[in-house]
Amino acid sequence: MKTVRVQVLLCAGGSCISSGTQSVREAFEASLVAHDLADEVEIITTGCMGMCEVGPIAIVYPEGVFYQKVKAADAEEIVSEHLLKGRVVERLFYRKPSTQELIQAISDIDFFKLQHKIALRNCGQIDPERIQEYIAMDGYVALGKALTEMTPQGVLDEIKQSGLRGRGGAGFPTGIKWSAAAAETSDIKYVVCNADEGDPGAFMDRSILEGDPHSVLEAMSICGYAIGARQGYIYVRAEYPLAIERLEKAIVQARELGMLGTDIFGSGFDFDIEIRMGAGAFVCGEETSLMHSIEGRRGEPRPKPPFPAQKGLFDKPTVLNNVETFANVPTIIMEGAEAFAALGTEKSKGTKVFALAGDVNNTGLVEVPMGISLGAIVYDVGGGIPNEKKFKAVQIGGPSGGCIPAPYLNTPVTYESLPELGAIMGSGGLVVMNEDTCMVDLARYFLEFIAEESCGKCTPCRVGTRIMLELVTNICEGRGTMQDLDRLEELSDFIRQGSLCGLGQTAPNPVLSTLQYFRHEYIAHIQDHHCEAGVCGSMMFAPCTNACPAAVNVPAYLAYVGQERYEDALREHLKANPFPSVCGRVCPQWCIKKCRRADLEGPLAVRLVKRFMADQREDYSDLYPPKEPPNGKKVAVIGSGPAGLTAAYYLTLMGYKATVFDQQPEAGGMLRYAIPDYRLPREYVDKEIEGLERLGVEIRTNVHVGKDTTLSNLQADGYEALYLACGAGHEIKPDLPGIDLPGVYTGISFLERVAKGEDLKVGPDVVVIGGGDSAIDASRIARRRGARNITILYRRTRSEMPTNPIEIREAEVEGNQVEFLTNIGGIYARDDGRLEIEVRKMRLGAFDKTGRRRPEEIRGVAERRVVDNVIIAIGQRSDVGDILADGQGLQADRWGGVEADRKTGATAVPFIFAGGDLVSGAATVVEAIAAGQAGARAIDQYLSPGVRQNYPWEHPASPDVPVDPDQDIEDIAPVSDPLLSPEERLITLEVEKTILPWEARCEAGRCLRCDYKG
Amino acid sequence: MKTLDDLRKMRDQVRKDLDMRSGAKRARVTVCMGTCGIAAGARETMQAFLRDLESAGLGDVAVTAAGCAGFCEKEPMVEVEIKDEKPVRYCHVDAAAVARIVQEHLVNGKVVEDLVFA
Amino acid sequence: MANTCECEGSCTSVVYEELDAFMADCPKGRDRLIPVLQKAQELFGYLPVEVQEYVAQALELPVSEVYGVVTFYHYFTMEPRGRHTINVCLGTECYVRGAKKIVEALSENLNIKMGGTTEDRRFSLTTQRCFGACGLAPVIMINDDVHGRVTPKKIAGILAQYE
Repeated sequence: MKTVRVQVLLCAGGSCISSGTQSVREAFEASLVAHDLADEVEIITTGCMGMCEVGPIAIVYPEGVFYQKVKAADAEEIVSEHLLKGRVVERLFYRKPSTQELIQAISDIDFFKLQHKIALRNCGQIDPERIQEYIAMDGYVALGKALTEMTPQGVLDEIKQSGLRGRGGAGFPTGIKWSAAAAETSDIKYVVCNADEGDPGAFMDRSILEGDPHSVLEAMSICGYAIGARQGYIYVRAEYPLAIERLEKAIVQARELGMLGTDIFGSGFDFDIEIRMGAGAFVCGEETSLMHSIEGRRGEPRPKPPFPAQKGLFDKPTVLNNVETFANVPTIIMEGAEAFAALGTEKSKGTKVFALAGDVNNTGLVEVPMGISLGAIVYDVGGGIPNEKKFKAVQIGGPSGGCIPAPYLNTPVTYESLPELGAIMGSGGLVVMNEDTCMVDLARYFLEFIAEESCGKCTPCRVGTRIMLELVTNICEGRGTMQDLDRLEELSDFIRQGSLCGLGQTAPNPVLSTLQYFRHEYIAHIQDHHCEAGVCGSMMFAPCTNACPAAVNVPAYLAYVGQERYEDALREHLKANPFPSVCGRVCPQWCIKKCRRADLEGPLAVRLVKRFMADQREDYSDLYPPKEPPNGKKVAVIGSGPAGLTAAYYLTLMGYKATVFDQQPEAGGMLRYAIPDYRLPREYVDKEIEGLERLGVEIRTNVHVGKDTTLSNLQADGYEALYLACGAGHEIKPDLPGIDLPGVYTGISFLERVAKGEDLKVGPDVVVIGGGDSAIDASRIARRRGARNITILYRRTRSEMPTNPIEIREAEVEGNQVEFLTNIGGIYARDDGRLEIEVRKMRLGAFDKTGRRRPEEIRGVAERRVVDNVIIAIGQRSDVGDILADGQGLQADRWGGVEADRKTGATAVPFIFAGGDLVSGAATVVEAIAAGQAGARAIDQYLSPGVRQNYPWEHPASPDVPVDPDQDIEDIAPVSDPLLSPEERLITLEVEKTILPWEARCEAGRCLRCDYKG
Repeated sequence: MKTLDDLRKMRDQVRKDLDMRSGAKRARVTVCMGTCGIAAGARETMQAFLRDLESAGLGDVAVTAAGCAGFCEKEPMVEVEIKDEKPVRYCHVDAAAVARIVQEHLVNGKVVEDLVFA
Repeated sequence: MANTCECEGSCTSVVYEELDAFMADCPKGRDRLIPVLQKAQELFGYLPVEVQEYVAQALELPVSEVYGVVTFYHYFTMEPRGRHTINVCLGTECYVRGAKKIVEALSENLNIKMGGTTEDRRFSLTTQRCFGACGLAPVIMINDDVHGRVTPKKIAGILAQYE
């Protein structure tokens, strides 16, 4: 007796096979025998299911339960639990990347749900090695229909009307190509399938050949009938042995059933197919080169016309299409042109398969309707960017394509829209890149590819791409000049115009598109020798230092802490940043995003070591870099936040007399008045400011520049340069009903009033609006003031929150809730003195310029809630109207700040410089410190031109702590963050403790010393 | 194969292999196979279903296993769900009961009232 | 034809006979050249000048054309290869995910440069453009085995599987 009740489909696509499909199959078979289920359960290996990232994949039917990352050892559990007892094995379920929700059925996974499969219709559904399964899915019906019910002209018309265009790159209309070949009079014609899929990152053709080879054979036969050819060739890469093996089997089976050979379906039509293996030349993907290769020649292109349809393979009329194009044909013939043409856009019909790869949660093959937005592919089908990284660009179209950055995520993907952005559809490689990708290095990669793959026939391509490669390599290694950018553009033009084939004509695209959208990265490499992504190693001291806005020499102070040389460690830190105590508590740690130890047990806990180091001394003003003798010049700094104080610190070190003015009663700016004391107790702010005063920085509080004095007065008082760093502390107040009701606070003023010791009352139920640091801080303060039910309403989702994820987590640990996709609609007073608020539900719509989705309201589902207090913390801006009123000619920017060069702080007025939040908008402490460095340098260059070449924070050097490069790296668990429990936190002020000396030494010892260059 | 009809015939013949994947089954029999069910003879129940469905020529009925339904003393329990109809739950389903369920319920469309779990 | 290549006796007349048999199966003509060369390389391990001359004669083509084709395609090599060929994928995805580090680790481990063969002929090291296993990046292929998510740390263990 053998009645199959369960089918287990195992993905045998290339990726899954490499991850062990075969051993999984064997383990399943053994388990089935052991449980006496072999007759009831059938194991079927299929072609690629598309979700290569989570392979090997097993799907159990009839339920359709989807198991991911199945190992041989898991087979027994699936068999004994699920197949025998009907209990699904949850631990092997797929998790939705955005919510971590477990998903059981394949039909519930967004990745599959949002796709529309035509070319991939059978991939992952059938056993590609059994023609019967293909036939069960209506295979060869289209061929039968064409041969017995349609004329060749009828087939041509159908293909034309469908609007199908070549899926290999250029998008030429398939129907026109076929008709041209059909119109030629010749006793011999050919059909050629281009399976020389060479674009790096594109593997849809391989997948179709491996997963559904018959669809290509059937389509080629249909084409042969339509144009009058009797012979077909499939030119397939030698690198695809499995595809070749399955094609060979398919051809044998098709011949046995009479689907290939003579007199097919009794129609008198003969057709057969031969496989030709490529020999490793990228240019053979170009049609004329490919035909030369089949003819046994060097695969070099030739000019067109004559087009292959007139004079192709062996000089006979030839239709040449790629695998994916052919795979669409049977469906068009069977279901009609109209059904196909109903999908997609006016000029781009049907679907397109993309090989989704790179920094995206769901990598693999996806087939989506033409016209879908790029953002929908990346975020909906692809599941977004993993590891809390930022989306940077998609590279689409391979070496002939281009990079499209975040502001264009709404672009519909069509043959027309992509070239407008400097990319092409190409064969459908779509590589998602995050902030860790250097666009100059990427351009270099593609140039290297093209230069190596140029067949050499056309000089502009052969020589031109080599020169471009040299230029871009120079830029990557810090030897580039601004003239090189012009030369790159000139050469691009030259190569485009002077090359015969598509390879050469599109070769400059990767450079041109990165120059178009990421020119600032090229300029940063050339002028600042800085690679923001931390990829170009030769211009980088260490990845952490490179990532730190203030360029703090992280490896050096870590190494000294490891040796208990705390003074040396502090001395190193103070060269670039006079606030180790503050930053040791609040720095969001740009450094660890690039920490190489992250690949092992996790990144270094740099901030914790920094905090430990800073706590070793009560006063470290004696460890500052040496102070130069006074030079008699006076500089006024307006604003005593980290930017202003840093500028004053360096100016004082350089011999200037720096005076800092601030309108508040005490110095520190946001450090004192915005960051809550449970994160940063005031004594540490005092400690570092006192150090600066000891150095000689003069601080005058309660002076409001713009009111108590003016810029002109300061100038008249002998200040030869002014540095404006008065921040962005002005609250943005939304236009909202009830915003001025009692019990409604705004975030910054709430934080400031609390910081100044005001006894603000909050009731038990508090709602905070916003998603930034001040919203989170306000929510946590509310709890410390006695609120019990605290809800943060944020209009987007967790992954869009601008605040540090750790802060959100800590707020949640303390009991605060975050409700995503909600916003406030209005606040209304109640008779009992409480407040009623309208809470609106939002959803994410189109993408904005920053690549985030814009929230839009879902109408008609708003609800009312009763609360005691509302804290609105939706952002802040600058307000320097009174300073500008001075008439010095300064320009305001659109955020209420001062228009200034972000890099140097130079303003429209030569002796006035500006920096910090005032110029950048609200940012982190370490960014403000970096701005202070830049301001000090610019002022020094202005007041003492040419005197100094180097500044203390520049040119970090390795510490005198030896490195043994041959030492084996042991696994050492990272130190855990010594956070207090939520209960303790309400008693003790600071939520975090300082790590212990041995922990600090151990943690410092994990540093891989990337500064060491051997 | 020489005609399109030959092909269609072959297609219809092999298609039932794929029905399971396309969700095209007419009905589904779910046998509760928790530890209790298996102890009460659910394996034999399952095999009886497979055998009787085969001999009745009912290729369009899916047979699946499920976990314990919570009424251990009523095992073996079976749920029969015909498309677009309310599922029916049977208890104490032994081989003889299977024969009746297949014949009366799945072939003739009449619920076997005396076996229904109430 | 005399056996003059230096492959230590492996290209005996038997191998030539096998090549003859392959060529006898198909009609003569230029378009057979690449399949025949692929077969020859499979049999000899590489394509020394002698083999190219032999193929040219058999297919009635000028030796210069055969040489032109052999040197055009990456697949063909005129140098003997190791018993195992390591191909490092340099597709976009593998590149972005650190293929460069893998190449460095392999060259260091085997003490050969890219394109080279170890002295004991155990391994040859080459690169290739995208195997289409991008979900597993970075990827290397040793003979026909694909190894995914390779890290420099895993290299020694992987190489040990090949004698």
